Amino acid sequence: MSDARVVRLLVFRVGQLVCAAEADRVREILPRLAPTRIPGAPPVVAGLMNVRGTLVTVVEGWRALRQPPPPAEAGEGAGGSGTTVLLEVDGGKKVLGFTVDEVVDLLSVGGEALERRQALPGIDPTLVRAVGRRAGQLFVVLDTDALLTPILSS
Amino acid sequence: MDLSQYAELFLAESREHLSACNQLLLEWERAPASPVPVGGLFRAVHTVKGMAATMGYARVTDVAHRTENLLDLLRRGSQPATDDLLQLLFRARDSLEQAVELSVVGREDEIDAAEILADLDGAAAALAGPGGRPAPAPGPAPAVEAPAVAGRLVQVTLRSEAPLKGGRALLVLKKAQALGPVRNVTPSETAFESDDFDGRFSFRIETTAQAADVERVVRAAGDVEHLTVGGEERRAPSPGAAPGAAQAPDAKSRHIRVDLRRLDGLMDLIGELVTARGRLNELAAQRRDPAVDDVAIQISRLSTELQAEIIQARMTPVWQVFDRFPRLVRDLARELGKQVAFRVEGKEIELDRAILDELGDPLLHLLRNAVDHGIEAPAERRSRGKKPEGEIVLAAVRERASVVISVSDDGRGIARAKILERAKRDGVVDPHAEALSDDQLLRVLARPGFSTAESVTSVSGRGVGIDVAMTRIRALGGSIDIRSQEGKGTTFVLRLPVTLAIVRALIAGVGAERYALPLTYVSETVEFGVQATTTVEGREAIVLRDRVVPLVHLRRLLGVTGDAPSRCPIIVLEMGDRRSGIVVDGMLGQQEIVVKGFDAPQGTLPVFSGATIMGDGIPALILDAGGLL
Amino acid sequence: MSHTVLVCDDAIFMRTMISDILGQAGFEIVGEAETGSQAVEKYKQLKPDLVTMDIVMPDMGGIDAVREIVKHDPDAKILMCSAMGQQALVVEAIQAGAKDFVVKPFQPSRVLEAVQRVLG
Repeated sequence: MSDARVVRLLVFRVGQLVCAAEADRVREILPRLAPTRIPGAPPVVAGLMNVRGTLVTVVEGWRALRQPPPPAEAGEGAGGSGTTVLLEVDGGKKVLGFTVDEVVDLLSVGGEALERRQALPGIDPTLVRAVGRRAGQLFVVLDTDALLTPILSS
Repeated sequence: MDLSQYAELFLAESREHLSACNQLLLEWERAPASPVPVGGLFRAVHTVKGMAATMGYARVTDVAHRTENLLDLLRRGSQPATDDLLQLLFRARDSLEQAVELSVVGREDEIDAAEILADLDGAAAALAGPGGRPAPAPGPAPAVEAPAVAGRLVQVTLRSEAPLKGGRALLVLKKAQALGPVRNVTPSETAFESDDFDGRFSFRIETTAQAADVERVVRAAGDVEHLTVGGEERRAPSPGAAPGAAQAPDAKSRHIRVDLRRLDGLMDLIGELVTARGRLNELAAQRRDPAVDDVAIQISRLSTELQAEIIQARMTPVWQVFDRFPRLVRDLARELGKQVAFRVEGKEIELDRAILDELGDPLLHLLRNAVDHGIEAPAERRSRGKKPEGEIVLAAVRERASVVISVSDDGRGIARAKILERAKRDGVVDPHAEALSDDQLLRVLARPGFSTAESVTSVSGRGVGIDVAMTRIRALGGSIDIRSQEGKGTTFVLRLPVTLAIVRALIAGVGAERYALPLTYVSETVEFGVQATTTVEGREAIVLRDRVVPLVHLRRLLGVTGDAPSRCPIIVLEMGDRRSGIVVDGMLGQQEIVVKGFDAPQGTLPVFSGATIMGDGIPALILDAGGLL
Repeated sequence: MSHTVLVCDDAIFMRTMISDILGQAGFEIVGEAETGSQAVEKYKQLKPDLVTMDIVMPDMGGIDAVREIVKHDPDAKILMCSAMGQQALVVEAIQAGAKDFVVKPFQPSRVLEAVQRVLG
């Protein structure tokens, strides 16, 4: 990502972490709905959600990124606030939901404004594609495939 | 004329005819003296030839034409089928099939038919040799000079490009006869039946009609190039433009073929409609407005009818998949030196096309196993006091909302002792076990890569394939059972739902969650807490009409927290000989559900066949009876 | 008023094509038959202005069907659909009472010419 091409990023907040995903991978941004639990699936999977007749498996963002649970989560998964971002994985063959606390911004940045991945406190370095800066604050561009594909079974 | 729109139809219909050819060849092989198969073969190949010629597929037409030639000779000569001839015809059928498939995808130039064409022609020449075809004698050259007989002399030359000139000439005579008696036809009418007839002929007609009238009438027969009536010659006009109005009226009802993708798309839409209908019904129930109720009821009825129609449109008879097996079994048996009588029953039973399409491979695995490992070599069969010819039966039967397909052989059966030994070694069964039940046997056989074949042949290793078949069938919401008796044979029983897309299901409540359980395998419901429970082999069970039904507490299985009510329903599932009672918190009713897939995360319990969207828009998982049993 | 046609051929492909050719030219396809005996039955029932008849069909062939239909209605207008190399069969069909014939592969213009001849 060090070339000069312009990348569009969706920036969102999960717990204390400000992250971003490539906007090309984002299918849709939806309000958070209470998903249907999938028995046997690990806690990182929130469940199944109905997106206009299609079933989408939803991943709990704060668990995937090892953040503390949001206060709303204290109550029984009523959903409440929060947003679900639909992300393409596996080259667009699958779509997964990813819950975030809030969507912050949609940015267009030149490749040179992003730095190669680097170790950041509180996040697994293999999930970081690059690091960017917005309003003086660092954010991590997530490798969404590395984050989400291991959750699905082959 | 744009022919591409007909290509799919051509392909589908050619495949049917070629499949029929296989059946007919097999039939002929069994009854070499029967005159019936060759007639059917001739018709099938002839039809393919006609269609291919229309599509402009020259190579298909050529192969079909030469095959038809040979068949025609065989048909006329009432020749019994010899093994060599049958082999040749099987090969010809196969190259015809290949030529059809390649032509349709525009790869006609890859067709290599030289060898089969030479062989076909060789065989035809051998048959047509001495005492062969009773070829009609070619007619004599047409007379230019007609004998002196009363009436006008009419000399006709048909267009050189006109097909079947003999038929055209006969039409000319028929037309002329309307004006008066026709005599002195030269060459004689029998020459019209010969392929060598060149389209020049003459006749005399006794008529009072003017020469111009004779000409008009004769030309009305079509394809007339030159015509002289009473010595007066006229030139043919250039062919006129095609007549006919442009507007096309609606064609009357007739069969059409529909792309499965269209049907799937339609099914998805109806799925959405069924979901929306559920929502509408819930809203109507809340509103209690008679006008809204009326509309809701009407929409319910219409969507139910629509759904039934579309499901019916997806139904396909199993022969569409079964018909390729007789040939495969035959070829395999020959290759392995076995004698096998193969029978197919229940060909007309219908299944959803999406399910049927998935069945080919699993059935092929099972049939291969039956020929390779089930049926013994003829000598071995004789030594065991069996007929040297083994029997394999593929049968389909409708049973409530499912279709049962079985593959049985009367071969050696599975050597349980050997499998038991192996299963103990692998730790699949208790080391002290003394026998394997059918269920355990299947579980051992279905382990990936399991093989007990003493020699692994090129065809299959016993067991390899059963795991594949089992996975496929389970994915379709079905099950496999096995029954095997040493020395007597093996039967595999496949149970499949009739349709995948929309099923009627019980909605069960567990805690705050809802699960759908397709009615296909639900035999009844009883109440837990009222029924006495017992323990059988360490499992909680109830006894229902003298049969032990082990219980599964859904709450525990699915990890739902909280306590179950003291009295709750048990849903009894039945699949073949297996039964299981599913204990749930409550029953929330029955409804039609649309089955949808979802991306299952790691660790998902293997008891779901999909999910559905309930009337309120919230997803519910569908329990898979096969996984629960 | 458009002419009514009964299309007889054992191949759906052929029936579709003939129906398309004639339908686009303004004819009304009132029925289809897959076998000779079906053709006879439908002829009696539908009384079409024109019949297109394949020669080679299962059950009862086209020529026998022509005989049966002509026995029932000597004015029946039947157009045979034949293939190359069926000279003798075409001759037989005409003797049986068929009014004209076309040869596969079909060219729409030739089919329509033949139809005009039969109906004209």
